[in-house]
Amino acid sequence: MKQDFVRKIEGYDEIVRERAICRKYGLDYSTEGGKIRSFINRLHPPRLMLRVSDVIDETPSSKTLRLVSPEGYLPPFQAGKYISIIADIGPIRTSRPYSISSPPNQRGYYDITIRNRENGFVAPHLLNRIKAGNRIEASAPSGGFCFNPLIHDRASVFIAGGSGITPFMSMIREVVECGIDRTICLFYGNRSDADVIFHDELLRISQRFRQVTYVPVIETPSPGYTGARGYITGDIIKGVVGQTGGRTYYLCGPPAMYDFCLPELEGLSIPRHKIRREVYGPPPDITRSPGWPSHIGRDAAFTVGIRGRGEIGARAGESLLNSLERSGIVVPALCRSGECSMCRVKLISGRVFQPAGVLLRKSDRQFGYIHSCAAYPLEDLEIMF
Amino acid sequence: MATEYDVVVIGAGNAGLTAAATLARKGARVIMLERHNIPGGCATSFCRGRFEFEVSLHQLSGMGTPEFPGPLQGLLQGLGVRDKLEFVRMEDLYRVMVPGRLDLVLPADKGGVIGALQGRFPAERENIGRFFDLVYRFFSEVISAFYMKDPEVTPEKYPLYFKYAFRDAQSVLDAHFTDPLLKLAVGIYWCYMGLPPRLLAFGDLAAILFAYIELKPCHIKGGSQTLSNAIVDSFIGNGGHVRFNCGAEKIIVRDGAVRGVVTEHGDQITTRYVLSNASPITTFLELIGRDDCPAVALDELKGASYSTSFFTIFAGLRCEPEAVGIAEATNFICAQTDFDRDFALTRTLDCDESAFIMSCYDVSDPGFSPPGACQCAIVAMKYAEPWLQVPPERYAAEKYRCAEAILRRVEAHFPGFREQIEEIEIATPLTHLRYLAQPGGSPYGFEQHVKDSSFFRSPKPPLKGLYCAGAWYGQPGYQPTLASGVAAARAILREMKAQEVKP
Repeated sequence: MKQDFVRKIEGYDEIVRERAICRKYGLDYSTEGGKIRSFINRLHPPRLMLRVSDVIDETPSSKTLRLVSPEGYLPPFQAGKYISIIADIGPIRTSRPYSISSPPNQRGYYDITIRNRENGFVAPHLLNRIKAGNRIEASAPSGGFCFNPLIHDRASVFIAGGSGITPFMSMIREVVECGIDRTICLFYGNRSDADVIFHDELLRISQRFRQVTYVPVIETPSPGYTGARGYITGDIIKGVVGQTGGRTYYLCGPPAMYDFCLPELEGLSIPRHKIRREVYGPPPDITRSPGWPSHIGRDAAFTVGIRGRGEIGARAGESLLNSLERSGIVVPALCRSGECSMCRVKLISGRVFQPAGVLLRKSDRQFGYIHSCAAYPLEDLEIMF
Repeated sequence: MATEYDVVVIGAGNAGLTAAATLARKGARVIMLERHNIPGGCATSFCRGRFEFEVSLHQLSGMGTPEFPGPLQGLLQGLGVRDKLEFVRMEDLYRVMVPGRLDLVLPADKGGVIGALQGRFPAERENIGRFFDLVYRFFSEVISAFYMKDPEVTPEKYPLYFKYAFRDAQSVLDAHFTDPLLKLAVGIYWCYMGLPPRLLAFGDLAAILFAYIELKPCHIKGGSQTLSNAIVDSFIGNGGHVRFNCGAEKIIVRDGAVRGVVTEHGDQITTRYVLSNASPITTFLELIGRDDCPAVALDELKGASYSTSFFTIFAGLRCEPEAVGIAEATNFICAQTDFDRDFALTRTLDCDESAFIMSCYDVSDPGFSPPGACQCAIVAMKYAEPWLQVPPERYAAEKYRCAEAILRRVEAHFPGFREQIEEIEIATPLTHLRYLAQPGGSPYGFEQHVKDSSFFRSPKPPLKGLYCAGAWYGQPGYQPTLASGVAAARAILREMKAQEVKP
C-alpha cells in the first residue's frame, strides 16, 4: 500500500497518538451548522422584512416612510448607507436604493425619505400606495458613501440636491446627537423653497450647534426669499467656507447637479480625491449621454435571448435590468447605478451601451460581463446568468 | 435549465472551478452552483473608485520559468486557459523588516538568497549554507520520491525525507541558526501557511522556500479575478452550465449515495456525483445534514481546528509606489522576532504589534492600477473568534481602530503613505466569513498540522458520489487548491468510467 512508507518517517507514532487525542477531545462540529449565518445575519442579513410604522409628510412632493422590524432587530449601519427596497408593482418585481435618513445611533427604525420623480415608477408607488402597517421587503444597509475617519477630513462640506439630502440627514443627526467632533457645512439645492425637505430641522440644528452650517440654495425662490439663489456655485461655497482646503467634499443629488457642481469644485482647486460622490441611479434619458450612438432612438426595440430561459423584448432607452424585470425575470440588484456588480450578467452576443463610470472589473470587460443596471441594448442580444 | 447532470459542482472557488472545467473538457455534463454573483471565492476582486482591488493573490507559486516550467503551467494548459492569461514574474521573494533591527531583501534565486543572508549575517555564513543545502537536498528527495513516482520509497534511498518530513520547522531553524533575526528572515513564509514554525512541518516550510526560489513568485495581469473568469469561460465553452446567485441548499442522499442537489431557489437537480468546494462544515452539516452524514466524516472533523482568517486593508494610492518608498512587491513587517508571539497575537483584535504583509502589485506590474496610482493590500493574520465577540454596534468602530493602528505602522516605514490614500476598504475575519460562508472565515481552511495532512486522512470519499476539493481538504493557497480540483475531477472521471464498464 502506498501509505506504508509513512510509518517509517521519524515522528510518525507521536503524530498518530496526537491525532487520536485530538479526535477524542476535539471540538464537536455537529453543533456548528448554521452558526455562520446567525453571526453574519446580525450585521448583513440577506433580507429585511420590515413594516411601515408611520408615513410622515415632509413636503408636498415627499414623504418619509418609517420602517420597523416586526422581530425587533435592525442591523447597525454607518450614516450614509442605503437600503434597497423591493417593490412588487403589478406583475413586476423591482427594487430601488434609498439612503437611510435617520441616524445610526438609534435603531428602533430606519427612515427613508422619498420624493416623487417625474416619470417615476417606484417612487409614486411608495408615495401613493404604501400606508402605515404595510410590509416592505428590503436589503440590509449597503453602500460606501460614509464618513471614513481613516482618510477623510474632520471638516466636511456636504452638497445635496433634492432627495439627495437623505444620507446627509443621517450624518448630521448623528454628529449632533452623539457629540461627534466634526464640522459640517451643508449646501442644499432645490428648485423651489417649497421643495426643501427637512428645512425646519436643519435650521434648528444649525442655530443650536455651531459645528453645523446650513445654506439652502434655491433655483426659483418664491417672493420674499432672502437666501442664496440659483445653483450651488463655487462662489457660494467659497463665500461660506472661506478656506477650501483641509475639507472633504461629499455630493449627493441628481446627475445634473454633479455636471454643474464638479467643475465648480474644480474651479476652487479642490483635489479630486477630496471629493466623494454618491451614486444616484441612471440618468433620466440615457440617449443623451456622451457617446450614445445618435442613430439609435430610445424606443428602438430589440430581442434579448436569455440562454436556457427564452426571450424577452427590450428597448434601447431602458436598462437591461429594467427590461428583464418588466418581463418578470428577477436579477439580484442593489445599487442600480453600475457600481456594486450584483446584477452582473454575461453578454454572449450583441452590443450594449455602458455609460461612463460603470465600475466594471477589467477581466469582466475581457470576458464579456456587464452590469445589467448600466447596460442598454443597441442591437439584439444574447445573455446568460 | 436541465434537471439532470453527471456532476453538480458546489462552489466556484479555485478548486470548484478547475474541477468543473476539467470535467466539462472530458465531456461530462456539469452544472456549477455559486451563491455569490461572481466566480472565484477568494480569487476575486472588487472596485472602489478608479481602483480594482485584488482580494487574495499575493504570490502565485508553481508557474516556473520557460526553461523550468512548473506544474501550474501544465494544469492551466490542460484547462485551456494558459493562453488567456498573462503572468508577471516577481524578481524578489520579499523584503522583511523589523524596525531599527532588520531590513533585508531576498531575491528569488538560490545564490541571491544565500548571498543576501550571508551579507547581513556574516557570523552565520556557514549555517546559512548548511540550511539551504538541507532544504535543497530534502526537496530533491521529495521530487524523486513523489513527483517522479518512485514505486519504492524507503529510508535508505531518501534519508533526509524520512528524518525531516514531520519534524517541526522551528527545531530545524534553531539547529541551524543562532540570531533570531536570521530565523525570522528565513522562516517568515510561515504566514502563507497560517501556523508558526513550531507547529509547521519542516517539509512545508522547505516546500515553500524551494518552490518560490526555483519556480519564482508570480502575479497575474488583471489579478486573480482574471484567472477565475478565464476558467469559467473555458467551462462554459465546453458546454458547462453555471448558475451564479444560486447556492446549494441540500445534497440529497439515499442509501448512502448522492442522488441529487436542491438549490436555494428550490430547483431539484438529479445527479450521482457532487463535487463540493464548500467547507466540510457546510457540506456535511448543512448540505447533507447530520442524519445522512457518515459518522466517519464527523470524527475526521473533530480533530481539526479552524485556521486563521485575515484583517486586510486595501489601499488605493494616488502615487506610484516609489513616491512613498515602496520598492518591493512583497513586504513582511514585524514588530519583534518571536514567531510564537506573533502567532499568539493572531488571536487578538489589536494590531499594534501584529506582523503584517504589505503587497504592492504595481511594483512588479506597473499597469496593475491606473496610471500614476498604485494599490497595496496590507494583511494581518487574525482568527475570527475575537471578531465574533465584537457587538455589531461596535463593529465599524473596531474596524477603523485596528486599521488606524496598522496605518500608523505603515507610515513609519513608508513616510507619506497616509496622505496618498485615495480609496480604502477594510476586510475583517467577519468579511471573509460572510463572503466565503466559511466557519472561521478562513481562506486557509483548517490549520495545517501534519496530523491533519493527507498522510493521515483516508482518501476514500465518506459517501458514495461525494467528492470534496479545496483548502479545507488539503493545502491552502492557489497552486494547491487549483490542483486539488483537478485531482478530484479525475477521481470522479475514473469512478464514472468504472461504473460504465460494470454490467
